[in-house]
Amino acid sequence: MILAANTSASGILSYLTTASNWDGSAGFLHRLLQHLGYSAETVLVSAVIALPLGLVTGHTGRGGTVVSMLSNASRALPTLGLLILFAILIGVGIEAAIIPLVFLAISSILVNTNVGVRNVDPSLVDAAKGMGLTPFQVLWHVEIPVALPLIVLGLRTAAIQVVSTATIAADVGLGGLGRYIIDGQASRNFAELGAGAVIVALFAIITEALFLLGQRLLVSPGIRLRARTA
Amino acid sequence: MLRQTPPTFHFHKVGDWQWVTDHRGYFWTLSRTHLYIALVAVLIGFLVALPLGVLAVRVPRTNPPILAVTTILYALPSLAVFAFLVGITGLTNNTVILPLAAYALAILVRSVTNGLNNVAEEVRISATAMGYGPLRRLVSVELPAAVPVIIAGLRVTTVASISLVTVGSLIGIGGLGQLFIAGENTDFITEILAGVVIVAFWAFLLDGLLLLSGRLLAPWARVSS
Amino acid sequence: MITFDHVSKRYDDGTLAVDDLSLECATGEITVLVGSSGCGKTTSLRMINRLVEPTSGTVSIDGTDVRSSDPARLRRMIGYVIQQGGLFPHRTVIENIATVPRLLGTPRPQARQRAQELMDLVGLPSSMAKRYPYQLSGGQQQRVGVARALAADPPLLLMDEPFSAVDPVVRKELQQELLNLQSQLGKTIVFVTHDIDEAVRLGDRIAVMQVGGKLVQFDTPERVLARPANAFVESFLGLDRGIKWLSFFPAKELPLRLPATIGPASGPVDVHRVAAAAASEWVLAVDGDRRPLGWLEAAALNGASSGTVDLGSLRSIGHAFSPATDSLRAALDALVLSPAGLAVGVDSGGALVGVANQDDINNAIQTAAADS
Repeated sequence: MILAANTSASGILSYLTTASNWDGSAGFLHRLLQHLGYSAETVLVSAVIALPLGLVTGHTGRGGTVVSMLSNASRALPTLGLLILFAILIGVGIEAAIIPLVFLAISSILVNTNVGVRNVDPSLVDAAKGMGLTPFQVLWHVEIPVALPLIVLGLRTAAIQVVSTATIAADVGLGGLGRYIIDGQASRNFAELGAGAVIVALFAIITEALFLLGQRLLVSPGIRLRARTA
Repeated sequence: MLRQTPPTFHFHKVGDWQWVTDHRGYFWTLSRTHLYIALVAVLIGFLVALPLGVLAVRVPRTNPPILAVTTILYALPSLAVFAFLVGITGLTNNTVILPLAAYALAILVRSVTNGLNNVAEEVRISATAMGYGPLRRLVSVELPAAVPVIIAGLRVTTVASISLVTVGSLIGIGGLGQLFIAGENTDFITEILAGVVIVAFWAFLLDGLLLLSGRLLAPWARVSS
Repeated sequence: MITFDHVSKRYDDGTLAVDDLSLECATGEITVLVGSSGCGKTTSLRMINRLVEPTSGTVSIDGTDVRSSDPARLRRMIGYVIQQGGLFPHRTVIENIATVPRLLGTPRPQARQRAQELMDLVGLPSSMAKRYPYQLSGGQQQRVGVARALAADPPLLLMDEPFSAVDPVVRKELQQELLNLQSQLGKTIVFVTHDIDEAVRLGDRIAVMQVGGKLVQFDTPERVLARPANAFVESFLGLDRGIKWLSFFPAKELPLRLPATIGPASGPVDVHRVAAAAASEWVLAVDGDRRPLGWLEAAALNGASSGTVDLGSLRSIGHAFSPATDSLRAALDALVLSPAGLAVGVDSGGALVGVANQDDINNAIQTAAADS
């Protein structure tokens, strides 16, 4: 078993370092960009839907039922099933991959944004209103900055889930890094499979790191460091 | 594998109710495997997360490495890990259970630490003042107070786990995901729809059961997921 | 001037928070709304800046109904301070203070300049400008809160239990500084508290409210203490109401007499001689600058007859009062604590001016009561 693991590790390495595996429409570069494209577009569309919804429901304290229903459904429906369903119903295309992935990603963005804004200390909101901030200014100058750690956490979780899950788009012929896993699996080529797995994992970890960096840059030290001392 | 051209759409196949009623036994067999994989994974994740979470809170030095490792675990794509594990654990349920347990662990460690950190300092101090030792205080004061947060974490984990088992079918491991693969191969929408609905049904059911048990275990608190 | 005209507030669940309140808060004065929790004092305050809308009646500022102004614009003209300051955790001290000027369109450099001045005014060192709220003590946070409310120089200031969350020593300090600020700025301040001592200390007028949102008495603190309107106000003022009331009468009318004193290096013989001459059991020991050191009881010195008096046998005077600046309350307190039954008055340098006994203080209280 150890021997097998060794040979497969060196096999993966040589697969990854073979220049021809990086070029062309089946090469790493092309599929990495494809994967990045699906993922970025999915996170963007999810954010455009879920952020405003989470902000408004959190700010007003209303629509909690809608938020929990949407997020529950978003978690409960299996992405693979939806992907295959949409691929058959609307045909193989970027939409067939993005719709199920958006559905998957909405939950964490929506819930974290909603909870983050809803849980902002009411006395802060009171002080802000009392000082003459309009409802929009209260949201923009107080609620969003204070809820930002949770909002970014929601986006980060969504991005990780999307990058990981976008691999299954390969199953319906939509390319991306999942191709190596599906093809490697089908042809018992463990070097190819392993190389794909390693690249996707690295991609996901880099995504995670980028979001952590973004959080550091966006969240005020007054909130970041307060949490640490608390 | 799917054809690249959009297939002709057979509407009569969407609501093939006869096929559904004919296959109830099959659904039940698949469901049993599916739930076994999903729930064992959550259970393992929980059993590891509990001591790890307590450790992370009790020994603050261990907190950053524990969170870092579990965060990386969470970032690993399930399909990649499944495929990778096939080489070691073979085509068994364990190949799916282990990665899902790792995801559950990643979420639940956070729930346990958040839950324990949620215990008000006054409560901790008065428990100590009343003569609770560290272990008894943990078991009879801090963990019960953390129950609502832990249950919320278990709900998220369980639902995600039930949904993710389906990905195992891409590497040929059982569960309700089989319905997707079979339906895909035969362009049979009813079968795919049935799979989606049954998976969602189990997810909602177990979510509801956990919600209910949370209310029974911690009637004093409500935490929304 | 802020005017409440038959204002009532009934919440959706049916509770009557404020019941037919009519009240005038005079310009340039501190009006304190005081009462136990649930008496509607905060609700009343929040109707001034429209955080709460009355169910009936009108609230007006200088004759203009507050409902005729846009809420946000109205609030920018009214300073607002709440418990623990309500400081924005993501902004530094200086950014917090500059909030309203920035909202009003003041360019950033000027707004910061103004914020610096306010930090000076409320006694915050400028080294704190770049700190975040979590790095400040409760008292410092409260100072930032006050500075932030004053930033746009609003004529009106609403303060909702601003000092409730800080410890008594800091609270007293903040109260004194508010009074100092007010003597410089002359704002119209409405102040809510549940602490009757704070109300008495700060208020030019105090409005006592009772559960159910009823105003039961509105008068100067002195008159509220002297003549509570009903049993509720009386019990709210507590069993030391008379003592509190005495703080409104200066001690300078109090007739003082010179006690029997001995200087440094006196012996027991001197004590007996002075005591006999003054026909008094107690002799006050003073130092070379006539600052009181303590009381000596002649009878207790019978045993020794030679040498100097042992300073260890002195009994503490409790505390002295200053006839020029203190009230009868301080004089009475000095009397209560004195073993000789004599309150010791001193000048600003701490030197003995004279003493007063119980009868003297009684007479002064009688006279004061008759005059008020």
